[in-house]
Amino acid sequence: MNLLTQRLFIILSIWAVLMLSGLMFSHDAQATQENYQFTTEQQRKDFKRLTKELRCPMCQNQNIADSDAMIAHDMRRKVYQLVSEGNDHDQVIDFMKQRYGDFVYYQPPVNNSTIWLWILPFSVLLIGGWILFKRRPEITPSDTQAEADLLAKADEMLEKDK
Amino acid sequence: MINTRFVVPLVAFTALVFFLYQGLFSDPRQRDSQALAKPMPTFSLPDLMEPSVIYTNDVFTDEVTLLNIWGVWCVTCAVELPYLTELSEQGVRFVGLYYDQDLDPDFGTKTLARVQQEVIETTNQLGNPFLFNIFDVYRDTSLDLGVTGAPETLLIDQQGIIRVHHIGDINPRVWDSKFAPIYNELMAQQSLQQTEN
Repeated sequence: MNLLTQRLFIILSIWAVLMLSGLMFSHDAQATQENYQFTTEQQRKDFKRLTKELRCPMCQNQNIADSDAMIAHDMRRKVYQLVSEGNDHDQVIDFMKQRYGDFVYYQPPVNNSTIWLWILPFSVLLIGGWILFKRRPEITPSDTQAEADLLAKADEMLEKDK
Repeated sequence: MINTRFVVPLVAFTALVFFLYQGLFSDPRQRDSQALAKPMPTFSLPDLMEPSVIYTNDVFTDEVTLLNIWGVWCVTCAVELPYLTELSEQGVRFVGLYYDQDLDPDFGTKTLARVQQEVIETTNQLGNPFLFNIFDVYRDTSLDLGVTGAPETLLIDQQGIIRVHHIGDINPRVWDSKFAPIYNELMAQQSLQQTEN
């Protein structure tokens, strides 16, 4: 291993460690000041998952676990209440959707207006592929002939220089 | 014959520019209310000033009402209060759905007496359009209505159905364009019913 690759390796490993620790810390530092008590481990997991998947309706792009807006506080309290009452994941999502619309859930439903989110990327890929295929330069006999001529000419020049 | 190699990217580019240009003028906060055309969610909440008085959905039967969601901590609410008072003087029935920001229902830092005091001070200063204020203690009813902040105003018809859900303040422009047409229609119906009875 030469010096350059060794240095690169060290820099990369430091970067990787920093990234990983950053990820771990950002998860711990979520804005959940409230101390909710859960009777079962499943409820605690459901609460954590739900507050990550529900979007704060006041904020532009934050889930209710991260947001400190009052509406997010209230929604967390409601999620806690619903989970403690024995509602499962889908029931809580439905409850929130009935009040705040599809916007509140980070997984958009597939319907007439949102289907484009799935169609568009694939169609771009297909069209791009088609264009690439169409524009591939065709090798005609005259091309190969011209190439052969050029090669012959080059050989001739090399021969001359000797 | 125009070269398609030139036209197709140009059309695609123009379409993209048009799409993005429109985005400049769209309001990312605007979203459809889920409460519209639905009955007022059932509630049972105390009066803000007289907590022994409990209000239920009955307060909305047989009368066209504007339910204003507000709080003294909300700056925009203070801006609209004088205009709402003006409207109430013209005979519009206003009911307040009051909620307090600093009064955490579980770890309250503010006393109810303090909240009442602040409300009295504010309404004395800026005008009081409200017949009474329903105190949404746990902010449950606000959540059921899909309220995201204050002020928000609902127009509720005689049957207790929500007909308009407005987010933000009410000013003459909003009143004329969003509320007045439906309000006037409902009031005409109401007076017709009253003469029939």
